[in-house]
Amino acid sequence: MSKVLDNKCPSCGAAIHFKPELGKFKCDYCDSEFSADDLKDMDKLKAEEVKENSKDSYSSYDSYNCPDCGAEIIADENTSATFCVYCGNTSIIKNRLSGEFAPKYIIPFKMEKKKAIDAFKSLRNGRPLVPSSFVSEENIEKITGVYIPFWLYNVNVSGTINARATKVSSWRVGDTHYTKTDYYNVVRSGDMSFNRVPVDGSTRFNNDMMNSIEPFDYSKLIDYNHAYLSGFLAEKYDVSLDDAFNDAKTRTLNSTKDQMLSSMVGYSSKNITSSNLDSSIVSHEYVLLPVWMVNVKYNGEYYLFAMNGESGKFIGNIPLDKGKAFIVTIISFVISFFVCVLISYIFYRMGA
Amino acid sequence: MKKFIVFIFCLFFSINVLAYDITDNIYGIDYSNSNVKIRERNDSNKWGVNKHWDINSNNLSNVLSTPLVDSSKKVYDFADILSDEEEEEIYSKISDFIEKSNMDMVIVSVDMPYTDDYKNEMFAADFYDYNDFGIDFSNYSGILLLRNNYSRDKYYDMYTFGDAQLYFDQSRYDDILDGIYSYFTSSNYVDGMSKFISRCSSYYDNGYAYKYRNAYVDSDGYIQYNYHVPVFMCLAGSSIITLITMCVLVRKNKMIRKATSAGEYLVKDSINYREHTDQFINSHTTHYTVSSSSGGGSHGGSSGGGHSSGGGRHG
Repeated sequence: MSKVLDNKCPSCGAAIHFKPELGKFKCDYCDSEFSADDLKDMDKLKAEEVKENSKDSYSSYDSYNCPDCGAEIIADENTSATFCVYCGNTSIIKNRLSGEFAPKYIIPFKMEKKKAIDAFKSLRNGRPLVPSSFVSEENIEKITGVYIPFWLYNVNVSGTINARATKVSSWRVGDTHYTKTDYYNVVRSGDMSFNRVPVDGSTRFNNDMMNSIEPFDYSKLIDYNHAYLSGFLAEKYDVSLDDAFNDAKTRTLNSTKDQMLSSMVGYSSKNITSSNLDSSIVSHEYVLLPVWMVNVKYNGEYYLFAMNGESGKFIGNIPLDKGKAFIVTIISFVISFFVCVLISYIFYRMGA
Repeated sequence: MKKFIVFIFCLFFSINVLAYDITDNIYGIDYSNSNVKIRERNDSNKWGVNKHWDINSNNLSNVLSTPLVDSSKKVYDFADILSDEEEEEIYSKISDFIEKSNMDMVIVSVDMPYTDDYKNEMFAADFYDYNDFGIDFSNYSGILLLRNNYSRDKYYDMYTFGDAQLYFDQSRYDDILDGIYSYFTSSNYVDGMSKFISRCSSYYDNGYAYKYRNAYVDSDGYIQYNYHVPVFMCLAGSSIITLITMCVLVRKNKMIRKATSAGEYLVKDSINYREHTDQFINSHTTHYTVSSSSGGGSHGGSSGGGHSSGGGRHG
């Protein structure tokens, strides 16, 4: 059992929040700053105990169900007003939610809100098809820091793959050109391990979007303490350990095949004829990972972007400016046409 | 003074003797039993060369090795493979071709020791270049069929000069040479040569070969190409480039992608192979013959002029 941090300032008793840019907790009233270790050591610290990583452990948090979309949002007890990250509906959290929610680790937000805004505004860089008015800060409806529940799987893959491989050589004797193809039956059998393969544990968030903001720097994982949730939203998992593993299983099996195929060196072609691979969970961890969710409204449509709250990787699908796309297509076609003409003329001169 | 004149006479005589020796050494053809009338080449008649080639020490031996003939005869049967009547028949068909095409046509038979295709080509080019062949004298257009009746390795090939080169690409050469193969191997030369003339006439009617539709022949007989914008190729190329460009740019706007592998989470030290076998099953070898034809495109002769050849056939 470990003590968790409260969200009261040890100096003045006001609410304190974790500041990603400082990497510390800060009181907005008395400007006091505290590290997590400071808070733990202080006598004034109010502690409450949580059970670590146990299925029969329960914690209470403020929570609510969005009246519009029904999404279940969990936040720390100091959060009194928030909005639904999915639909943007503003609500006041009043209810307490009790549920099975005991993350082992958490990566605190390292990137602050301004970074997410800057990342959004810089989307035009290197992307000529982005509508000019899209990246305006005015289009940002909401920016919310959310701790997304992730399952981290330590996986062992074991099994065998059989492949038909060929080696092709050719040579010429006089006017006759020979091609020799040697056929091989190649077998690779063995096992390999994957460490902390992440799978989004919430159905509320698009899995592909969560995949796209990988990787997280796991060296930043620290013991979970709900005090880090202050100022942010959080979600509890609603995809079971076994169900979420399907995604990790597919990914690890594909990578195992790739790894085994890459060990077949010196062949001209390799085709898997049969495979018998099995992926099993060695251990798992339930963690919360930081993500900035950016809701953008443009021309009456909503667009959702996400930024890895640890690395700053910003992803999302940007609408195309059809007018720009048409112009770029014409310009590209004209330039490439003249390049082709130039190349043909160079070849003509070389052959002349 | 008298001694000096004698010395000059002896020197001139020795050069001519040397020239005949060179003739024998280069091509090794014995013209003595031939009915073809050969005129003498000497300095006074500019070595019998009326074309604009520069005759110098580099090609003089080739000139002197080449028999100077009456260019109006068109059929030169040094190997004596045609009867007089057959020569007349072939000459008549050649005349029709010349009148129609305004290109020259020459048929030559020799008995020359075969060493390689190049030697035959050199003889054919020299024979054409150092005689007054070629109707259009801007680039001496014409066609020459050479039959080398050397008993150990019979050979034949066709050569084109001037604008005539533009009418024949490799497929046309192959069609003509393969078409007369059976006649030549059965020594039915008159029919083979008649078919040769007929096929050349047909291809003349078809116009320039597609390959040479934008080409021309310069005054030295070399094929040159006019530059024409390959519109279709450029349109296709620029369309492909534009498509790829737009795909890349659109992809930049679509950053959400499904993860299908977990390679970055693989523990490298954990890879353990219990079985690692590569078993050879069988082997399969295929082969195909690469055409060694050297036809198409201009080659340079000893005169400095260009010509093309069909690639040649043995038999």
